[in-house]
Amino acid sequence: MLVIKRDGSEVAFNQQKIIDAICAAMNSTEKKVDLELAHNLADKVTRKISKLDKVDIEHIQDEVQSALMNSRRKDVAEAYIGYREVRTLKRRERSSLDRKVLGLLELTNEEVLKENSNKDGATIPTQRDLLAGIMAKDFAQTYMIPKLVVEAHNSGDLHFHDQDYSPYFPIYNCMLIDLKGMLENGFKLGNAQIETPKSITTATAITAQIIAQVASHIYGGNTINEIDKILAPYVLESFKKHYRRGLEWLYMVDESEISELDISWENEELHEKYPRCLDYAKRLTEKETFDAFQSLEYEINTLVSANGQTPFSTFGFGRGLSWAERQIQISILQNRIRGLGRDGKTAIFPKLIFAIEDGVNLKPSDPNYDIKQLALKCSTLRMYPDIISVPKVKEITGSFKFPMGCRSFLGEYEENGELLHDGRFNMGVVTANLPRIAIRAQGSEEKFYRLLDELLEACKEGLLYRIERLKGVKAKVAPILYMEGAAGSRLQAEDAIDHLLENGRASISLGYIGIHETMMALYGKSIFEDEVLPAKGLQIVKYLSRKTAEWKEETGYGFSLYSTPAESLCYRFCKLDEEKFGVIPGVTDKGYYTNSFHLDVNKKVTPFEKIEFEQVYPQYANGGFITYCEFDSLVHNPEALEAVWDYAYERVPYFGTNTPTDKCLECGYEGEFEATNSGFKCPNCGNSNPKTSSVIRRCCGYLSEPSQRPFNAGKQKEVLSRVKHM
Amino acid sequence: MPMYIADYKKFDVINGKGLRHSLFTSGCTHHCKGCFNAATWNFNYGTPYTKELEDRIIADLNMLDVKIAGLSILGGEPFQNVEGLSPLISRVRRECPGKDIWIWSGYTFEEIVADANKLKLLSDCDVLIDGKFMLEERNLKLKWRGSNNQRVIHIQESLRAGQAISYE
Repeated sequence: MLVIKRDGSEVAFNQQKIIDAICAAMNSTEKKVDLELAHNLADKVTRKISKLDKVDIEHIQDEVQSALMNSRRKDVAEAYIGYREVRTLKRRERSSLDRKVLGLLELTNEEVLKENSNKDGATIPTQRDLLAGIMAKDFAQTYMIPKLVVEAHNSGDLHFHDQDYSPYFPIYNCMLIDLKGMLENGFKLGNAQIETPKSITTATAITAQIIAQVASHIYGGNTINEIDKILAPYVLESFKKHYRRGLEWLYMVDESEISELDISWENEELHEKYPRCLDYAKRLTEKETFDAFQSLEYEINTLVSANGQTPFSTFGFGRGLSWAERQIQISILQNRIRGLGRDGKTAIFPKLIFAIEDGVNLKPSDPNYDIKQLALKCSTLRMYPDIISVPKVKEITGSFKFPMGCRSFLGEYEENGELLHDGRFNMGVVTANLPRIAIRAQGSEEKFYRLLDELLEACKEGLLYRIERLKGVKAKVAPILYMEGAAGSRLQAEDAIDHLLENGRASISLGYIGIHETMMALYGKSIFEDEVLPAKGLQIVKYLSRKTAEWKEETGYGFSLYSTPAESLCYRFCKLDEEKFGVIPGVTDKGYYTNSFHLDVNKKVTPFEKIEFEQVYPQYANGGFITYCEFDSLVHNPEALEAVWDYAYERVPYFGTNTPTDKCLECGYEGEFEATNSGFKCPNCGNSNPKTSSVIRRCCGYLSEPSQRPFNAGKQKEVLSRVKHM
Repeated sequence: MPMYIADYKKFDVINGKGLRHSLFTSGCTHHCKGCFNAATWNFNYGTPYTKELEDRIIADLNMLDVKIAGLSILGGEPFQNVEGLSPLISRVRRECPGKDIWIWSGYTFEEIVADANKLKLLSDCDVLIDGKFMLEERNLKLKWRGSNNQRVIHIQESLRAGQAISYE
């Protein structure tokens, strides 16, 4: 007799396998194994099927099941049935995993391929990363993440972010790189020991290497916090180098004499004696700084991290007042304005954030007002920089710092009596689907908050698991972070990293989405067209904020509330809710949920109304926030943008403008390309060739080029729905 | 005949320098081929101009928390609504110190200064974008205007010099 297996192959019948299966089931019961009964039952089954030439495996299992049911050991029957069900489920999961892998191979798995607009899913290194992601996610869901959280994630109650990396790998989200500490104290990179650089050219080259390394060991964005201040000493090193050369060639000073001089930017006595040398060194240093930042920008845009993508990198700058710091700010902006390559295309990375501060660069009488003008010009042409209001960030987050990656902000934290920012990081995010519980609450506020409490328990469990996964991790898993100083520490290979996670040094964030849709679902009205609802929306965010504060108090970990950017999540939650609850006008009918506290992108309001509406939220969502406004092209009108920036400076901590910065490489038109079904078209000459068009749109916190790499469906709908706020 | 208004746009970043408010008057007899706003050729298009709107424009120009550069007047053809516009422009001059007035016209600077009525209106404004829109000269790369023949003129300097002097 032959047995037909599930994959269609045939093997000889073997009664022992039935006995083994029954014994395994018996072993999981309280009464344990009864070998004699197992043999008897197996005999019975064999007799029943022995007349057949071929028998299906499922048929044999049915017979075993019925024999057990008719025996005195009903408990074994139950265990056996349970075991069969689990196996069936596993097989189904396995085959869905296979489908995902096959979809990747055949480039048909849109969900995986378009999850992240910064990844080109067609290339081999990215495919390797995506493949690892599929497996890591599957394994984590099956064996690691608490079951309750997995179920809540898969059903769409919450989103446990970045499962393709974490928790399978003990890896965290985003960070402020301690570049200063690394450059000053030296570090090991690969096989090379790196010492403190002696010029700005070397310093930026090393910075690029560090960014690439760090980006391969975390899954979120990295930021160089105040890059103008951190790299200024190396501009001065270059100055000294050029000065020495000047003394030697312009004034024929002897080398031995030069080595005894105190050459520095501040030594005015020396400059009076050698005025041409000062000029010479200044000019050459300015040129070198410009070139160094050009190389850095090119490097970052050409790098591919081990995660198969360009590093999500951000440069924060603007507060430095010294000549060297100013040169860095000017170089960053002028390089961005110039653009990449022969055609001067808009650079996508790094993201630039410019800090605005009264007394530094806000007013015409401020010393860096000229750099603010340069930043305005840059922003009209290249969309970046976004701006940070120094006083508002201090007010809301307790101290000044730039965001990690695109919008995650750290709270106040001291080490050895001093505020510490660089080297700190975010341990990850779990985002709550607020519109769903609003739909479920059916208009009852009380029920909404009851459901919210339940949902938040699940979120908390997910977040605690994220922390748990990082505890006990040894420094050697990411030498660049933990042993060479990027995370601000120099641990030994076998040291655990636990103290870097504790007491609010690292943040762990509860995310939320769709205040706008939540209000629509609960009250049937738009939050913007009502008197009472703005307070109701804020009340929810305050509630979430209080919860994270309680968790922080209770656990000692840096829980914070984060306004999730939701690149593909805006689409996923909405789609799942539409499947579950059907089309609900204003809630599930748009194909996307609105980001965090943002006003729906299709609301026609002035930027001032939008800023005014959103300004009350960041102080509660202080783990992450940004306010955006959409504009027509401002290339000819930086004065108008300045009026908006100045208004934002007083009201919101972090502000970005979306303006069309498209460029036609055929006719030279700069402005907004028309979005058509077949792609993007130049309104001036009609050119629609992606190769000779530069079309840039903001996708969440970062820029991307949708003409080269299309957005996911939900994001595309959201982008098409965006209305101009002027 | 009262003046009709095709549109009043609070916060305009496209028409003129800085953040501005824009008033579009109705009525134009130039009928340029390819006009971006042909509906406004009709002198009765839109809504009648009112004192309420005038007060609102003055208040909007003087708002405190946002820095407004000035008022832009487009059409239609503003210079075919001279009588209707004069009171507004006088008030802006009187009540909105530091705000400039930009005005668009299908007439050329030379045609406007040759007509006493139009000249009076012009002399209260700061920047003129002049000349008809010519489809064959269309160029989207230009600032504040649609075709190559049109000019951006510094009104006061031009009046002093007796010839069109360009702005910027």
